[in-house]
Amino acid sequence: METIINDVVDPRDIKKFELIYLDQQRHGPVSEKTQFEYAWCLVRSRYLDDMKKGVALLEDLFHKSRPDDSSRRDYLFYLAIGYTKTKEYETALKYVKALLKIEPENHQAKELKKLINDKLNKEGFLGMAIVGGATIAVVGGLVGLGIALAKKSS
Amino acid sequence: MAAGPYNYSYIFKYIIIGDMGVGKSCLLHQFTEKKFMADCPHTIGVEFGTRIIEVSGQKIKLQIWDTAGQERFRAVTRSYYRGAAGALMVYDITRRSTYNHLSSWLTDARNLTNPNTVIFLIGNKSDLEAQRDVTYEEAKQFADENGLMFLECSAKTGDNVEDAFLDTAKKIYQNIQDGSLDLNAAESGVQHKPATPRSAISTDQAPSKEGCAC
Repeated sequence: METIINDVVDPRDIKKFELIYLDQQRHGPVSEKTQFEYAWCLVRSRYLDDMKKGVALLEDLFHKSRPDDSSRRDYLFYLAIGYTKTKEYETALKYVKALLKIEPENHQAKELKKLINDKLNKEGFLGMAIVGGATIAVVGGLVGLGIALAKKSS
Repeated sequence: MAAGPYNYSYIFKYIIIGDMGVGKSCLLHQFTEKKFMADCPHTIGVEFGTRIIEVSGQKIKLQIWDTAGQERFRAVTRSYYRGAAGALMVYDITRRSTYNHLSSWLTDARNLTNPNTVIFLIGNKSDLEAQRDVTYEEAKQFADENGLMFLECSAKTGDNVEDAFLDTAKKIYQNIQDGSLDLNAAESGVQHKPATPRSAISTDQAPSKEGCAC
């Protein structure tokens, strides 16, 4: 699943599907297929702005879809992928859980959920380490100050 | 197992293509996990799997991209064909329509890969003999006419699954050895890894074939 997250789209593909998307937009409503294809390329971009645009297009598709639409699971999966890539893990988790409600045994969804949870735990731990490091720095600073004051007073 | 960063000499990229429901993901799962995945939902987009195999004493890492068969994914999954050294093209022997669509899959495979890409035709679900809808002879003839390697397999029993993946690798390796596959070409689908100093195991080993017919 890590490979799927790190899979980067060829810029030529973004361009190709963007042209189709823009062309349809000029001539009327964009088809669901075209919007999905463009969004799927965007979430696999190496650029944050593209990923965010892709996620917005997928959210739009998801909200417009009927509850029984079979493509909903595809939107949910790529929304979870998109938010994992933008490191918004809580949102990613929300979407992958929604997908698991539709298909509880979907192993792609299960693997993705595990990966998001791993990232959450790891980054949560890193967050604590940073706070911990700051505490050490402050304590260190106070000790240093104490030593300086002690020296001054002697 | 001695796991080093370069525990293999080559990386081969594979793609698996074919109609929805022919068992592409089950073949991948059987090959990488040696297990049959029952009631597998349709793949979303693409899946990825790896396994290290041995061909003529060389360790080769297979990086396998398994594409969704649903039509809605087809346009975008085409980009995964680029740079594939091997393409496994799968149909279901019990559903004639999946066989009839092969020419369209073959056109994609030919147009989107390089001329040296090894294309292997797989007739899956060979365990369902009673429901057979495509004869072996007919598919074999199609394969011969189009210069494809061919086997009937069963992702369920594991029958011939190893052979399909390994025979593809052997053919790619042979193409490297005889110089018809240029490793420096941008999209050869093969990467050569620097050799790691190896402990003295230089006896010429036959390609490992774990006969799992469970």
